[in-house]
Amino acid sequence: MIQTTLALLLLWQAGSPDALQHMQAGTEADKQRHFDVAITEFRKATELDPSLTAAFVNLGQAYMENHEYGSAIPPLKRALELNPDLTPAHQLLGYALLSQGYAAEAIPHLAKAQDATALGIAEIQTGNLKEAVENLQIALAKQPGDPDLLYYLGRASGLLSKQSVDTLLAAYPDSARAHQAMGENYFVLRQMPQAEKEFRAALQLRPDSPEVHLELGEVYAGSSQWDKAVEEYRAQTKLQPGNAEAFYRLGDSLLQQGKVHDARTVLQHSDHLQTDMPETLYALGKASALDGDPAAAEKSWKKLLAIEKDTTLAGQAHFALAGLYRKQGKTGDAAKEMQEFQKLQASAGGASGQSSQK
Amino acid sequence: MLGGKGISKLLRYLSRVVYFLMPAVCIAALTAPMFEVKPPRVVDFTLQNSPTAQKYLIETMPGGVALLDYNNDGLLDIFLVNGGRITSPLLAPENFDRHDPKYWNRLYHQSKDGTFTDVTEQAGLANAGDGNYGMGVAVGDYDNDGYPDLYVTSYGKNILYHNNGNGTFTDMTERAGVAGGGWSVSAGFFDYDNDGKLDLFVARYMIWDTKHNKDCGGSFHTYCPPEDFPATTSILYHNNGDGTFTDVSERSGIAAKKGRALGVAFADYDNDGFPDIFVANDGMQQYLFHNNGNGTFTELGLEAGAALSEDGRRLSGMGVVFQDYDNDGRPDVIVTELPREIYGVYHYDGNGSFSYRSLETGLGALSSGSSGWGVGLEDFDNDGWKYLFVAQSHVLDNVEKIDPSLHYLQLPMLALNHNGRFEQADSGVTQPIAARGAAFGDLNNDGWEDVVVTALGEHPLVLMNHGGKQHWLVISLRGTRSNRDGLGARVIVNGQTRFATTAGSYLSASDKRLHFGLGATTTAKVEIQWPSGIHQTLNDIHPDQFLEVREPEKP
Repeated sequence: MIQTTLALLLLWQAGSPDALQHMQAGTEADKQRHFDVAITEFRKATELDPSLTAAFVNLGQAYMENHEYGSAIPPLKRALELNPDLTPAHQLLGYALLSQGYAAEAIPHLAKAQDATALGIAEIQTGNLKEAVENLQIALAKQPGDPDLLYYLGRASGLLSKQSVDTLLAAYPDSARAHQAMGENYFVLRQMPQAEKEFRAALQLRPDSPEVHLELGEVYAGSSQWDKAVEEYRAQTKLQPGNAEAFYRLGDSLLQQGKVHDARTVLQHSDHLQTDMPETLYALGKASALDGDPAAAEKSWKKLLAIEKDTTLAGQAHFALAGLYRKQGKTGDAAKEMQEFQKLQASAGGASGQSSQK
Repeated sequence: MLGGKGISKLLRYLSRVVYFLMPAVCIAALTAPMFEVKPPRVVDFTLQNSPTAQKYLIETMPGGVALLDYNNDGLLDIFLVNGGRITSPLLAPENFDRHDPKYWNRLYHQSKDGTFTDVTEQAGLANAGDGNYGMGVAVGDYDNDGYPDLYVTSYGKNILYHNNGNGTFTDMTERAGVAGGGWSVSAGFFDYDNDGKLDLFVARYMIWDTKHNKDCGGSFHTYCPPEDFPATTSILYHNNGDGTFTDVSERSGIAAKKGRALGVAFADYDNDGFPDIFVANDGMQQYLFHNNGNGTFTELGLEAGAALSEDGRRLSGMGVVFQDYDNDGRPDVIVTELPREIYGVYHYDGNGSFSYRSLETGLGALSSGSSGWGVGLEDFDNDGWKYLFVAQSHVLDNVEKIDPSLHYLQLPMLALNHNGRFEQADSGVTQPIAARGAAFGDLNNDGWEDVVVTALGEHPLVLMNHGGKQHWLVISLRGTRSNRDGLGARVIVNGQTRFATTAGSYLSASDKRLHFGLGATTTAKVEIQWPSGIHQTLNDIHPDQFLEVREPEKP
């Protein structure tokens, strides 16, 4: 894109014949990735014709390609003095400045170039997090699944979230929300006794805060304190009778306790509230199978597989179906499901030959 | 609004960050303590695992215990396997110098008054295992002379001690050809071809070399996970009947599957007359070696539904028991594992198929915070249902640094079996320990099963059953056509089934006698399916006795 624009620039821009000769030599060297030669040629062009904008832009670009980002800045700035509306120069200068850590200075140039990706990254560095999230979302819409964009968007969102929480903690340290936020921090740090204490404090201040019951339930579920987890999830479902996730978690905890019939009823309700939630479907299949209803189990797992094809949960559903069919004497179907399971395991790095940290 | 793949991702994220456990000391006592914990003076052995700052994986893995009546005086004696000296940092190669008596394996003879005497030197077991880091022990009368022999596994060379019948043992390893090599762990005697001579299975953990040890951890050292080291094969030795064995690992198909074996147990799950092998593998799928009856085995764990968790996840299998927990007459498998995995209950449904029943049995809820090693299914209260006992402790001795909610030292698990559903019970042990091996047997011949548990850096725990009023029956098998101790026999007493074995648990060997709780019943019907194929039935057997049953010479 930049190359094309520069080529066009060359065509309409007049310059001294000597300068243009060096420009041509520089362009040839650049094509052959002989950046040192290109830099020498473009620099000569700028010396022979100090008004030749394209020569400055090309020189800046050659420096960039040679990873000499700091050296790229002066010629690009000069190019913009000569032609303030030159978008490629803005873009290159934005990159060069950003790479050198001058994010604030880079932002106006990147904005002029309408480069949402680089702009978003620069805005993270300057702490303009809201704008960063917006720009990175725009960029991601154009390049869905780009790992770098996903990373930066995650980082910007996380920092934005932290900013809000920091403000909350500073302004209202004794509020229910502050305790909740602290609980969440401890939860992520796996400091569960502290997380439990903060969530409890939050509930004391605001007993009807539904999310806190869910979070507290997670604390207990993670430590296998299923009785307490069930209690919290039940509280959540009472406060939010339409919350499918709360019913799912309640059902899963009941399942862990071996209360398969109760679990099944709750999971059915979760599925009723929100169909096609894969976790619910998987757990419902398990509960149904354990409750002596293999047909219902099969239905749930097949429904899950209609939604998810290549995830861990899909693999688990195939594995569960293999077991179900094996018990029913359907050896062909069992083998087929086991094959699907093994295929997914192999693509995920293999479950059968490796292990997690003790 | 969360939904579809969105919630999937969120839930998976949460599942990754929530890794912690219930403190071991929170276990509530729901019943009266089952055992009296004998003070250490009874057996003054200390398991020398030689922990180092470098955290060599081997340090956290020993050691085994065996309950056997080595001199046939009717009382169980205790054999304990010691670890060994480890220099820090390790020498390459490390010599595991065990000249110092504190590193010796030990044999304790039980006297009639219930006291134990160290007879290691008299028995010819002094300085045993020098140059090898000791791991486990198997017990079996491989030459059918009526005296139980010992097979001690090690990192290095394993040793077969022949019991001379006069209170002494002789190292017959070289002649027998069973030195093994590498890192051997649990082992067991069984007669896989029903020729009346006990064969030997040796589980091996991984390829680990003192010259190629790995350093794990960040700001501090920690033991490396098993997948950091290559898997290896286990060994099957066929007993030639002349005091020698032949390595048939390749021929039998055992060597076709590399694993990270820690535990091994035997039972004829499909009732085809040939004992099968279950191998507890660490950090990977479990192996079920089906005995084809022609000297070969086929690994069927995955196909049989006994390889992974209910969700298809790999397990850190460590100890294993292969007995019938729900009194349906079929052998089931229980595998002990690490926290977050819950102990695996594989119920044998018949037709070659197992179903994973950790949740239904209640063991899932009981074990999600536990890390288990030695394991046994024994009817401790003689009510006709087998309790589950597990020696517990995390593998990492500094796990609290990694996750404060995890605990290295733990209490053993005792789970009451209520019609096939497990409930928390009180073992009577109040001090958390780094338990490893566990062996089961009736030490004082009162008809109530006792336990001996090994613990790293500690004396073993001797857990004496308080006893009660229920009736019992203890059966000794005397094979004639089958191997002399009848290992591999299926014994049914009043509807309860046990599979005769000394193997199972972790690194350990239990009393060969078969113990049955009879509850209030005052008579028993005993049915025995001998490895030879002979079926034998005894009616109207009086309870509360030690019954020796001789295999009929003819079918």
